[in-house]
Amino acid sequence: MEKKGGFMGWLDKRLAVDSLWKVMMSEYYLPKNINFLWSFGVLTMLVFVILVISGIFVLMYYKPDSHMAFDSVNKTIMMDVAYGWVFRHTHAVAASIMFLVLFVHMGRGIYYGSYKAPREVVWVTGFILFVLMAATAFTGYLLPWGQMSYWAAQTITTLFSKIPFIGPDLVIWIRGNYIVEDATLTRFFALHVTLLPALILVFTAVHLYAVRIVGSNNEDGIPMTKEEKKEKGIPFWPVFMSKEYFVMSVFLLFFFFLVFFNYNFAMDPINFQPADYLQTPPHIYPEWYFLAFYEVLRGFFFSEALGLIAFVLSMFIPLFLPWLDTSPYPYVSGKHRPMFKVIWWIFVADFVALTILGKLPPTGLFAWIGFVTSIIYFIFFIALPIIAAIEKKKVATGGGR
Amino acid sequence: MKELKILAVLIVIVGVTYWGIEPLAHSIMHKHIEEAIHKYNLPDYKFSDLGSTPPLDGDPVKGKEAFQMFCTSCHGLKADGINPPMDAKTAAMSFGVVPPDLSNVTEFIDKKFLYHFLKDPAKATENKKFAMPAMGLNDEQIADIIAYLESKAKKVHGAELFKEACGRCHGAKYQKIYAETPPENLKKYLGKVPPDLSIIMKAKGEHYLVSFINKPQALLPGTSMPRVGLNKEATEELMKYLDEISDPHKEQRQKVGIIVLVYMLVMVGLTYAWKKKIWKNVH
Repeated sequence: MEKKGGFMGWLDKRLAVDSLWKVMMSEYYLPKNINFLWSFGVLTMLVFVILVISGIFVLMYYKPDSHMAFDSVNKTIMMDVAYGWVFRHTHAVAASIMFLVLFVHMGRGIYYGSYKAPREVVWVTGFILFVLMAATAFTGYLLPWGQMSYWAAQTITTLFSKIPFIGPDLVIWIRGNYIVEDATLTRFFALHVTLLPALILVFTAVHLYAVRIVGSNNEDGIPMTKEEKKEKGIPFWPVFMSKEYFVMSVFLLFFFFLVFFNYNFAMDPINFQPADYLQTPPHIYPEWYFLAFYEVLRGFFFSEALGLIAFVLSMFIPLFLPWLDTSPYPYVSGKHRPMFKVIWWIFVADFVALTILGKLPPTGLFAWIGFVTSIIYFIFFIALPIIAAIEKKKVATGGGR
Repeated sequence: MKELKILAVLIVIVGVTYWGIEPLAHSIMHKHIEEAIHKYNLPDYKFSDLGSTPPLDGDPVKGKEAFQMFCTSCHGLKADGINPPMDAKTAAMSFGVVPPDLSNVTEFIDKKFLYHFLKDPAKATENKKFAMPAMGLNDEQIADIIAYLESKAKKVHGAELFKEACGRCHGAKYQKIYAETPPENLKKYLGKVPPDLSIIMKAKGEHYLVSFINKPQALLPGTSMPRVGLNKEATEELMKYLDEISDPHKEQRQKVGIIVLVYMLVMVGLTYAWKKKIWKNVH
């Protein structure tokens, strides 16, 4: 990269690739006290690239038409096209695993306080990316036009009908029909392959730009200036990336194991039955990454209206984390905030419990556990300002760090 | 090592979640199916609920006479040059479903079941609307007819077995196999068009299908699918066929899967070595 002249030199004069490389890679410094969880950001990009590539291949044979969609996926792509099944499996598993990587990435961000000042924009753009991913996954799940595709879309779009005044009309506007039908499929398809991935690209760029400005957080949450990082830290290239490649390889080993040998969790057997609007399946559930929110919808005081409000809140309340947690501790990491650590672990346990309960039938004991866990979900967000206030007092009396 | 500790925690969290949403959830959602399988001890190839069977050692010559007297007004038996009295379309319109050609039935339908079926089709199939009425045959006539059928039957495999055992109502369109009875007749007869079976193995799995075919009412009460009395051998052969057509690239997937995993293992080694080399000077 240092060599001038030749093609790179020619390009450098016109695009300043040298300085760009320095800013983005070789002279972008990270703290040393970070663990492998910091690799999950780049992993989301890896999974996104896998999704785009496998997506382009399945797109070549997919037919967005309610009479042809199911067969184009299950016959043409899965059976007729050479190695078409690889791309379908990869696309389905990657969509699912994207959320695992996102949850770890976000959970790490919360635990180590990476949402706190000055990284609010990083958090907000990241959260928008999560919502965009959720929308992409939801629209994409309808496309194979299987039983679960159909009934999940039917159930979730029905939720909009509970919105006061405009609800019923809104549902028809979203579906383009009175029920989920061909019009719904084609518009979901359009959003899935154009607008949503384009927005994801834009917000990824802003997200990365923001990280380059404020820099990475670290395990102890010690604020570090760029100079300090340069002195004590490691450059993104090649030091951080050499570790990242190792993490990627281990991740891909796991990922391809799922693609080839354990894919049922991402391709539900029920979805190998074609959509039938006359036959409701006995159990309707969303993909696993929406189960926690779905359980909040079902469990919150067992009330349709309250459940819906809680559902919307549960999805969007994490956006406001930077302003809910106003703790004055200079070390932002949860590692040094005992009370925060406790509620964080409760939150994680609760999220896992909600996810599991979201798939179980909401009867008897499960319903009651669901009710309790859906309330605990919000306790985390209510506790944050309280903990922050206690910590403020501690700092005022000379405690804290 | 701290990083390994974090990894272990991560694996536990992901593992618990996976256990909850897959094995646990499925065991709870499919509880009634497992209970039914357990209750009736499925698959029950003795069809024990139908009771005992007299000795079935009839005379094929007398059986042919009885067959021509009682059966040929609806059924054909091509193996012995007996054609069905009507073409498929007319038969479907008259009976709701095309009556099967009986050339090979004794090869894939259990003999004892066949006896009970000929006594009382609705009872044996557990389907009150079953198109064939009880013919009022006595035990000797039934034994003779079965002996006659056995004398003509040949083993059928794969797609042929599928067509003969399931193909009057079900198709497998990915194999270009279409139900013999037109869908509009089936809808009138059964209330709905029976599902296409091209990828049914993926949707339902062998465990369910074997028991469902063996005793449909036990697993899906009220279904219009009749019990057809497939014997063990035919059921297993059919499962093999359904598995092959629903997942034609299974072998390829396993082979490519191993190659990819080995490749990734090598990559894990290489990237680890590179990481070591770069980080040697960092600490």
